Amino acid sequence: MWTVWTVWMVWMVCLVPTTSEALCTEDDGYKVRLSIKTALGGDAYEWNESEMFFFKATLAFAMRTYSGGEQYDVSNILVCDETLRVSFVFVVTKPSNTSELVPRTEVENAIKKSRHRINSAFLLTDQTLDFVGINPTLAAPIQYDTPPWLIAFGVVMGLVCAGIVALLVSTFLNKKRSKKSADEEEAGRGNGILCESIRGKDGLFNQGLVDDDRLTKL
Amino acid sequence: MPFEVPQSPKESRPSWDNPMQFVLACVSYAVGLGNVWRFPYLCQMHGGGGFMIPYLIMLFVEGIPLFYMELAIGQKMRLGSIGAWSAISPYLGGLGIASVVTSLYLCLYYNVINAWSFWYLFHSFQAVLPWSDCPVNSNRTAYLEECEVATPTQYFFFRETLNISSSIDENGGVHMGLALCLLLAWLIVYLFIVKGVKSTGKVVYFTATFPYVVLIIYLIRGVTLHGALNGVKYMFTPKMEQLANPQTWINAATQIFFSLGLGFGSLIAFASYNHHNNNFENQAITVSLINSGTSIFASIVTFSIYGFKATFNYESCLERMRLLLMNTFELAEDTVHIDNISFWITDLNRTQPEQIAAIASRIETCSLEAVEGTGLAFIVYSEAIKNMPAAQLWSVLYFFMLLLLGMGSMLGNVTAIITPLRDFKVLAHSLSNETLNGLVCLFCLLLGFGFTTRSGNYWFTMFNEYGATFSLLFIVLLEIVTVSYIYGLKRFEKDIEDMLGRRPNWYWKIMWVAVSPLLLISLFVFYILNYIQGGAPTYQAWDKDVVREELTQIRLGLRSDSEISCVNLCAYSHIEMTVTRKSM
Repeated sequence: MWTVWTVWMVWMVCLVPTTSEALCTEDDGYKVRLSIKTALGGDAYEWNESEMFFFKATLAFAMRTYSGGEQYDVSNILVCDETLRVSFVFVVTKPSNTSELVPRTEVENAIKKSRHRINSAFLLTDQTLDFVGINPTLAAPIQYDTPPWLIAFGVVMGLVCAGIVALLVSTFLNKKRSKKSADEEEAGRGNGILCESIRGKDGLFNQGLVDDDRLTKL
Repeated sequence: MPFEVPQSPKESRPSWDNPMQFVLACVSYAVGLGNVWRFPYLCQMHGGGGFMIPYLIMLFVEGIPLFYMELAIGQKMRLGSIGAWSAISPYLGGLGIASVVTSLYLCLYYNVINAWSFWYLFHSFQAVLPWSDCPVNSNRTAYLEECEVATPTQYFFFRETLNISSSIDENGGVHMGLALCLLLAWLIVYLFIVKGVKSTGKVVYFTATFPYVVLIIYLIRGVTLHGALNGVKYMFTPKMEQLANPQTWINAATQIFFSLGLGFGSLIAFASYNHHNNNFENQAITVSLINSGTSIFASIVTFSIYGFKATFNYESCLERMRLLLMNTFELAEDTVHIDNISFWITDLNRTQPEQIAAIASRIETCSLEAVEGTGLAFIVYSEAIKNMPAAQLWSVLYFFMLLLLGMGSMLGNVTAIITPLRDFKVLAHSLSNETLNGLVCLFCLLLGFGFTTRSGNYWFTMFNEYGATFSLLFIVLLEIVTVSYIYGLKRFEKDIEDMLGRRPNWYWKIMWVAVSPLLLISLFVFYILNYIQGGAPTYQAWDKDVVREELTQIRLGLRSDSEISCVNLCAYSHIEMTVTRKSM
């Protein structure tokens, strides 16, 4: 009995890793690339075992959130093909049956849903934490009630119209005023014909020829 | 004879409050958008610093003498272009009309540029500049395709600003936003010229000086940008071999010619409001030098912006290559830097040639080549601005400066139309100053709406490239030949002595009699040859599918000929009319 149990244990221990290796392929899972140094520069952290554990935990969290509470665990995330680039392939197994994989589309939707949380966990962005094949959902454009350009336009337009109206009104008032004073001056005019004939010539208007100087009262 | 009440002496011609206003008005008119983007583009096309040589030669040989001549005519005759040329010789009233018609055409389309400036200016008041990112498609998975293939700045200009159609025949509707901006532009022009010279004279204090403030600010910002010195270095390394290319000299001559705004009648109009003894000789030299100096100054700013943009593109290209290599060959991040990319490529070519071959189509050779400014300052500059820190501030400043430059030039253009009109006594008595100015602005606004349609930019290009060039050369050639030979150099000299108190010295006389006319004739001949050789005129059309500008033929040659024939017709018919009238 004990021998049978030992053999079974040895078989399990040997087989499970190979089984998990067989499960982890790029066709069934997703390739991930992290560009930590590009994103953080001097503050970049070292990618090591703990970080990888954190990543698996984050993925498990994403699966749990998407599936509405199914008990995904770190052991359900299988990782392989790790490179110095800091890229690897991962697959997700079902918590109920560890030899069965969660379909790709489900994994994709789960990641899309929690993408922002995953990015923030690693201080990265959609471009520096790249899930090959999962396009980031782009930020929605900001919706304005009134387009801001219309507001700026309205302000300037209002000022210009006010300026034009002010100028025209002042010109009109000035004209009325000068017409009134010209009407008062007309009474003392004489020799108007001579003024008429030289009116068009600029610069040759000789005040001396016009007898309209109100101040020379005899 | 009925007793006629004399009008007050104030009916005499209005004038500038002081000579400074006149100088600033000329500066404001001459310094325009061409100084900021056309000159740097030509400079870069014709060998950087070396272009200065033909440019300065043309300035002294062609620009200043012709400028002097126009100011002299205006100040002496004290009438707009129609009246002035009619006074010189009755046959030449048509020349004045031609000037006015050219100014009218220019007014129609030039204010559209101001409308674009307003559009960009108002759109700068947003958290994120709208031309910095592509808009996303409906399910937010990717950017709009048209924007992806082009760049966000191109997309913003061609699609969101112009909503351009595929050819000049497809009219589309009027772009409401642009139409509103055009309305605003014309209202502002009206506000500036409503009282004629009295209002224009006050406005030019601001429109002539503030652009320099912005240029200085931009100069400081520009030369401190990363990679700016690459651009400035490129500008100042002369490529002397370009001097052997005749196109360089032709472009220099044309640039001086158009930059100073000769032939439109604006200078004559401005000078007609001067006092009889105003010293326009010094002013002519001053304004011309200021204009050229501004071109050179602006090109330093522009080249530093170009350098920044070219460096930015270069470094983005290198970054893309680095990412490509890292991802394809799974190399660690700190092994590939932007300095050792070429080393890596050669090394990998040796060790893993098949993989290199597989990605060969995506490998780009990054080079720091000068960015080609196709004259579309709205695309090149806005692209550079979006990458600067505090982009909104720089954007507002820049487009405000463009507006001031454009408005300043518009003042001259509209004055060139209004002054001759006011010289006609009939109009002057029946309509007040404000009403006449308003009618002219309204007329130009209504016609200008055609440029805000979806095919409007094509019309604009046609007017810009084919509308004025030819006729202006003809007009100015006729002007200088008239003054030197028909009116007579002796009479002209005497007029100048009458105004200034001294005769023009031998330099001016040689220029007016011999050099400038010869130069203009050769330019004119060149343009005719080019026109004949060039075949059907073409324009660049935005192909929505290919998302690029493609050369398209103008189906009807009528449009390009219309202006020229109108000008010729106007000139000749008037000449004929005056001849018949004289012989009766």
